[in-house]
Amino acid sequence: MATPDQTRVPLTSEEEGLKDLNSDYTERYGFHDAENYLFKAPKGLTRELVEKISEFKNEPQWMREFRLKSLDHFLAREMPTWGSPMLAEVDFDNIHYFVRASEKPERSWDDVPDDVKKTFDRLGIPEAERSFLAGVGAQYESEVVYHQVNKDLEDQGVIFLDMDSALRDHEDLVREYFATIIPANDNKLASLNSAVWSGGSFVYVPPGVQVEMPLQAYFRINTENMGQFERTIIIADEGSYVHYVEGCTAPTYSSDSLHSAVVELIAKPGARIRYTTVQNWSQNVFNLVTKRAVAEKDATVEWVDCNLGSKLTMKYPSVYLMGERAHGEILSIAFAGKGQHQDAGGKIVHVAPNTTSNIFAKSISKDGGRSSYRGLLEVAKGAGGSKSKVVCDALLLDEESRSDTYPTIRIGEDDVDVGHEATVSKVGDEQLFYLMSHGISEEEAGKLIVNGFIEPIVKELPMEYAVEMNRLIELQMEGSIG
Amino acid sequence: MSPLLEVCPLDEFEAGSCRIVEWDGDQIGVFNCDGEILAMEDRCSHDGAPLAEGVLDPESCTIECPRHGAIFDLRSGIPTTLPAYIPVDTFPVVIEDGLIKIEVD
Repeated sequence: MATPDQTRVPLTSEEEGLKDLNSDYTERYGFHDAENYLFKAPKGLTRELVEKISEFKNEPQWMREFRLKSLDHFLAREMPTWGSPMLAEVDFDNIHYFVRASEKPERSWDDVPDDVKKTFDRLGIPEAERSFLAGVGAQYESEVVYHQVNKDLEDQGVIFLDMDSALRDHEDLVREYFATIIPANDNKLASLNSAVWSGGSFVYVPPGVQVEMPLQAYFRINTENMGQFERTIIIADEGSYVHYVEGCTAPTYSSDSLHSAVVELIAKPGARIRYTTVQNWSQNVFNLVTKRAVAEKDATVEWVDCNLGSKLTMKYPSVYLMGERAHGEILSIAFAGKGQHQDAGGKIVHVAPNTTSNIFAKSISKDGGRSSYRGLLEVAKGAGGSKSKVVCDALLLDEESRSDTYPTIRIGEDDVDVGHEATVSKVGDEQLFYLMSHGISEEEAGKLIVNGFIEPIVKELPMEYAVEMNRLIELQMEGSIG
Repeated sequence: MSPLLEVCPLDEFEAGSCRIVEWDGDQIGVFNCDGEILAMEDRCSHDGAPLAEGVLDPESCTIECPRHGAIFDLRSGIPTTLPAYIPVDTFPVVIEDGLIKIEVD
């Protein structure tokens, strides 16, 4: 029988170039820098801290009041009792809620503080910006330290700023949309974000403008017991297009951090927004995120959501199809390894008639990891002629791992076309035997099966991310079979 | 003519406060937005929560649902934020002989 080395599938030149990206998490992403911070709040959440964050940022009074009202909501709400038992482990008193690493977001990497710049160099962000992105934002701890967008896009009226700068420079526009899709009291974690939000992106694409290359934001946690609470709004005006990509990593620590973002998307008539996430937090991060979009008449919103890292992820990107013929698409991959729970999925609400949607969710569980699909498909009264397809597939790699599916479907109209399919499968001995009989090693056979399983979603990623995603999955698969 | 449902004397209804009245098994919230009296179905169209238990903003004439934070315009009943997307019913208010009354047909 051939040895693994003899049968390993040769790397493409692109993979060859990127192979060092993912040698292992600790080396590649799990490192941390010295802390030369301008300000680091002590652990714990107080009214004084919320006021101080607002004061630091020199915010208008309405935002200060919004934060304080949100804090009241957060304190008044109970922690959700659904989702994962791990939620009970979140210790809100053991979190640093605000850490400032630099004075302001810079437009040149040369001006970013050295330690921080080295981190992003090591993560390959400046190189990616040069190669294939139309704009980049890099958030380190609580705030964005670097932000840049192509001049051509700026000349066309595209706004791509960190949220703090957007509030200062485009206050009326921010106020018009802020918290209209996800209100302050939507859920406990959204209330927390609303109270202490910092950083994130603000994107506005004027009517008819097509942003051909992706905009990217990279979120990095460095300190232990950090809370990162970015806030992002993307508005694609009539007939425009934008693709926004976010990535996230953190150092490996023995105690937990919290990432709780709020993301609001508004696709005006005929516009299209694609929002891609490659989440690769270290396994000491609680990732509890609220993401919601509205699609107006003839608009399209697509969430491509890849969840690899974190201790616990609870995230269900949603699309409200508010205008006739709007389309929503959610493509979700979750990979749960040892000690991880990926509770992911998506929600689609058909409000207007003749709207269409798809949810394709794939999950892989190994080494006792747990993945859950949790989804909602709702067709409201008045949304006749709507069509939707929900497919969720789970792959279990061993006996110890677990997969659950929690689909909710509410249909308020007779004239609809709705389908739901769910499968749970295990990598079978017969599949392995078939591939091994063709001279492929057992380990490679396992990887091929997993890669084939997630391929329909990975192919939707930009090339550079698809390559990275495949390699990350391969790493997670090391030693899985046999 | 629509039936009129009596709420309370106008001079006993403080600015920024609200009253609940019942009609035909349903509850209606009556709100005093800095002197402007408005009446709206007391049931969030998203999840059925009692809206009058939420936060009233007299300045913008809105009420925030206590359960998931959807904000409703008290004049039109239209939600201005998700997760609600269906308007709730509103009712005309009349003042007769110093009494607040709502048309409930």
